[in-house]
This record gives sequence, C-alpha cells and structure tokens, in this order.
Amino acid sequence: MHNLLNFLLKYNYWLLFVVLQVISLTLLFRFNSYQGSVFFSSANYVSGVVYSCAANITGYFGLRSVNRDLVQRNVELEMLVEQMSKRLAHYTADTVDISRLQREVLDEYVIYPATVVNNSITRSENYITLDRGTSDGIRPDMGVICGNGVVGIIYKASAHYSVVLSALNARSNISCKIKRTDYFGSLFWNGGSPKYAFVKDMPRHSAFSLGDTVVTSGHSSVFPEGIPIGVVDDMSDSHDGLSYRLKVKLFTDFARLNDVRVIASSGMEELDRLEESIGMAD
Amino acid sequence: MQTIYRLEWFVGLILLQVLVFNHIHLGEYATPFVYIYYLLALEADTSRVKLLLWGFTLGMCVDIFGNTPGMNASAATMLALARTPLLRSQTMRDSSDNFVPSIRAMGVTPFLRYTLSCAFVHSLTLQLIDAFSLFRLVPLLQRTVGDTLLTVLCMFCLDFIRRKR
Repeated sequence: MHNLLNFLLKYNYWLLFVVLQVISLTLLFRFNSYQGSVFFSSANYVSGVVYSCAANITGYFGLRSVNRDLVQRNVELEMLVEQMSKRLAHYTADTVDISRLQREVLDEYVIYPATVVNNSITRSENYITLDRGTSDGIRPDMGVICGNGVVGIIYKASAHYSVVLSALNARSNISCKIKRTDYFGSLFWNGGSPKYAFVKDMPRHSAFSLGDTVVTSGHSSVFPEGIPIGVVDDMSDSHDGLSYRLKVKLFTDFARLNDVRVIASSGMEELDRLEESIGMAD
Repeated sequence: MQTIYRLEWFVGLILLQVLVFNHIHLGEYATPFVYIYYLLALEADTSRVKLLLWGFTLGMCVDIFGNTPGMNASAATMLALARTPLLRSQTMRDSSDNFVPSIRAMGVTPFLRYTLSCAFVHSLTLQLIDAFSLFRLVPLLQRTVGDTLLTVLCMFCLDFIRRKR
C-alpha cells in the first residue's frame, strides 16, 4: 500500500496526463459531432467578438478582387435583365400582370445580408461563422449563397452569430441538377481540393456534357431553383455502377468568402411539416 | 512582473495563432503552430504537472477559437508530457540547472533538434486525431512533415524576437 502511494506520488503527472487526455477526447467526440455545443464553438460571444473585429480589418484586403467579381456579375445580370425584359415585353402587352408576377416570385423568399467572420477549407468538416444570428431572423436550415454561387446551409444559430455547414463538408448534401437538361443528383464533398466537389446519383440515362452548368434543383426548401453551383469538369462511374459521379468545379471561391446572403423561404416550415408527416406515416 | 510578461506571451501567441497562422496552408498542407512556443520556452525545471496544465489550457484556448474542441488540447498535452525528456536528451547533465530553452542557452544544433522533435510530436498527434474519420496515410505524413518544418522555422523567428527584448 505504501509503495503504491509512493508510486502514485512520484508519477502523479502521468495520472494528470491521462485525465487531461480523457477530457480532451471527450470534448473531441462530443462537440465535434453534429450536435456541437454553441459554447465551445466560434458561435460563442467572446470568440465571435474577436473574430468580427479581425474580419473588420481583413475584410479590406480582398476588396479589390471582390469588387471586380461584383462588377463582372453585375454586368452579366444587367445583360440578362435587358434580354429578359425585351422578351417579356415582346410576349405580353399586359404589363400590370407581369409586374405583379415578379413581385410574387420575390415574396416567397427573404434575403438577409451577412458577413463571414471565420472560415476554414482544409479540414474534412468545414464550418463558416457569420455575424448574424437569431435576433436578425436567421434560423437553422436556411440556405447561404454568395455572389458567385452556393456556400452552404445554416447549421446552428445563437443570438448574434451563426455557424454554416459549408458545402465543403463531408456531411453536407445539397440537391442539384444539370441546368440544361434538368437531370438531378446530389452534391457532396469528400475532402481534398476546396475548388472541386462531386455530384452523385446522376442516372445512367441522363444527358449532360463536360462544361455543363450545375445549379440547385429547388426540390428542397433550402435553396430556390437555379442558384449556380459549378461546371461539370469530369465524370466517372459510381462504385455500384448504377449511376454517374460528376466532378464539379465550384463557382464559389471558399478561400475568399466575405459577403454572403442568407435565403429564407416562407414556405419552408410548411414543406418541412408536410414531409415530416409523410415520414411518420411510413 | 514575471507573471504579466508570461501572460502577454500567452495571449499574444494564441491571438497570433487563431487570427493569422490558422489561415496559412502552404500548398494545402503546412500550417505553422506557433502557440507551442509558449510551452517550449518555459524554464527547464518547470514541473511536469505545471507543464501539462499549461499545455491543456493553451490547446483549449486555440480550440475554442478554431471550432475544434479537444484536438489542440490533446496534442498540446501530449507535447507537454514529451517536453521534459526531449529537453533533457538535448542538454548536458551538468549544464546549469535552470535556464530558458533558447538558442543562446543551448546552442543552435541542440535547440534545432529540441524544437524539431517537439514540433514533430505535436503535429503528428494533431494529424492523427484529425484523421480519425478520414484515414489516408500519405497526406497525413505530408501534412505532419510540412507542419513540423514550418513550425520550427517560426520557433527560430520567435526566439530571435524574444532575444531582442
């Protein structure tokens, strides 16, 4: 007994080491999982404040390139609007009807601007922290986009900050389709380069070609239809050989995210409730 | 005074790590972990218990900012345990009992070997923990080596900065 006590006293640091490792690993397995605690993530208040201060400063560094992208995008959109309004004017004489229609389309979605305060792209599970939270109307499961394309889905929100499940996350799964032919699959990412992601479950008989644009399908209530994701860069067979697996070059430059938009669709809760009730009936 | 000086380094290194160095990924692989300099530069006769507690606290702080609870804490605790034997193996038995590990106190080569071994232990642990869900050996080793080399470079820079003061 005496010897045992001596032994424990002499090597007490081993005991401490084991205790600390157990604490670390417990934290690792509990909070790195989907049900992560807001306190131990960057959604907590202190780290949120530090990060938003830092983002205030570093935000300026990328302004030039962000600006260039925006101008480019703006020009494209202006041209598109020009074409569309010409075509609309050509097809219908009843302008009152059309403007009402446009208003109705926008009514379905509410858009909140937000700024990225923290971001990672190198881990297998990447998250993005935004400086808007529940007090600004942000709720989990809303879609997040930037000027170029899809960014991810809100995963957790505290009062003033929220964490986004980035599209660059092994757990992320976004419904998408080929813009030209409307065949749909789902977008996923499995580590590796932050510039590329994959589309799985693309049917064997689907028609597409390299260089086709991939957009969101609008099948889920998270994203409206037609938000750009990327272009098809390469294709291969899936493991079971039943479908194609497409490699997609993403439009969004995740390493340079700064200003994003959170999209809330007003029909979201209703659709979710409906799908849930089907799940229960099964 | 000593405590305040120490806290300055503690806070400074953590902020430096989470705001600057966590975002550096040279060639998608190498990230320098400057915060371990705090552990490496504690006096040579610091008790192991103290080292372990500092290591855990340090790692935990970096984790809270980096959304990785437990990862850095675990790796830094592992480093804290390994530091004493690693430091002893690089210094003469009869050298002065208490010194702050630095180039001046140890000489360039022993300091290099000391930081290299410590950084390796730390980044290997970190990468192993990170790879739990995604086991790919070659990238894992590439990352470990990249992290280690970049970290050692930073250790030398920090050592120069500390000497200037």
